[in-house]
Amino acid sequence: MHPTDKERDFLQLILANKGIILKICQLYCPDRADREDLTQDIIYQLWRSAERYNKEYRFSTWMYRVALNTAISFYRADRRRTTLPLSPLHLTIEDAVNSIGTERLAGLQHCIQGLNELDRALILLYFEEKTYQEMAEIMGLSETNVATKLSRIKEKLKKCVQLRFKEN
Amino acid sequence: MDDMELTKLWKQYDQTLERANILNLQSWVLHLQTLELLKTEKAKSRLRSLGNCKKGMIVIGILWVAFLIFLLANSIALSKVFFALSVAAVLGFSIYSVLAYIWHIVLIDEIDNSESLVEVQKKTATLKASTLNSTRILFLQTPFYSTFFWNWQWMSHDPKFWYIAFPVTLLLTAASIWLYRNIDIRNADKRWFKLLFSGKDWTSVIRAIKYLEEIEEYKKNSL
Repeated sequence: MHPTDKERDFLQLILANKGIILKICQLYCPDRADREDLTQDIIYQLWRSAERYNKEYRFSTWMYRVALNTAISFYRADRRRTTLPLSPLHLTIEDAVNSIGTERLAGLQHCIQGLNELDRALILLYFEEKTYQEMAEIMGLSETNVATKLSRIKEKLKKCVQLRFKEN
Repeated sequence: MDDMELTKLWKQYDQTLERANILNLQSWVLHLQTLELLKTEKAKSRLRSLGNCKKGMIVIGILWVAFLIFLLANSIALSKVFFALSVAAVLGFSIYSVLAYIWHIVLIDEIDNSESLVEVQKKTATLKASTLNSTRILFLQTPFYSTFFWNWQWMSHDPKFWYIAFPVTLLLTAASIWLYRNIDIRNADKRWFKLLFSGKDWTSVIRAIKYLEEIEEYKKNSL
């Protein structure tokens, strides 16, 4: 079975942007097995939405929207896991603290995971160096609103991280 | 700690994740059969995720509607006017209920995830929350369950009709109108509301309504 051009393009795009999927899964799924399920869901949703891709928006804007919406819905759902026993996925996700290695970084992850779902998305976009305009497009907020919220989220995050450092 | 330090910490986090090679999609995603399997199996799992309870509800609803149509078709006569009218009313509410239930499921599945986060989350929560609205409408059918055995003869010759049957219907009418007007998330903390809407399915509906309020609040540009 050979992939069609469309499928090949899609797979290449997924590969080129796998970092986005990785970070979103890591921040929205503390549970390792759920993370694998979420990864599959995001790829599936990207595939489903690919036909509706509006070229008016940047590819990364579209991808962040689909992946973050899937992650937030996944996070909020009362759900049973439906991970497919696919191989070779090699989702060798180790426990976050172990894989990340240092307590400082684990502390940062913990603090981000403590934010509400939408704030978590916004701070991720900020760290990914998206412009205010792009953040506003992805979130569906005004740029002023994005700026106001970001300033508040950063303060909250700094306090939380510092507290974690002191505790350790 | 300033913004620079926070960003630096994130960059370290990002690099460590990359190095840890946590998500080795390379070999997996290029495997077309895996993608094919993912597409078909995930589509099936979405159907499975509807849950036997929801699918069961739809089947029972359709059977109930079919039964009411059968009853109605066999009771259209002047002597059975109250029976026919009651069945017709309950049938109307039942059809509305089944269609609304299926429509919600379809709409939730059709939501375009590539719209903005606030928009998609709002749509999803609105659809889930609308179950509560459908339920309050369904309460309006309650009085019709007490009118199907009315008949002209009973009304004109038996005082029990006016002392018992009629007041019961009036009471049910008042109760159903009261419920219709009061089933609202603002009353979610009241005891009667919790009693009426207990159970896992309702918990997710109530949570969706509260989430909707959070989203509305989130959209406001306030500190």
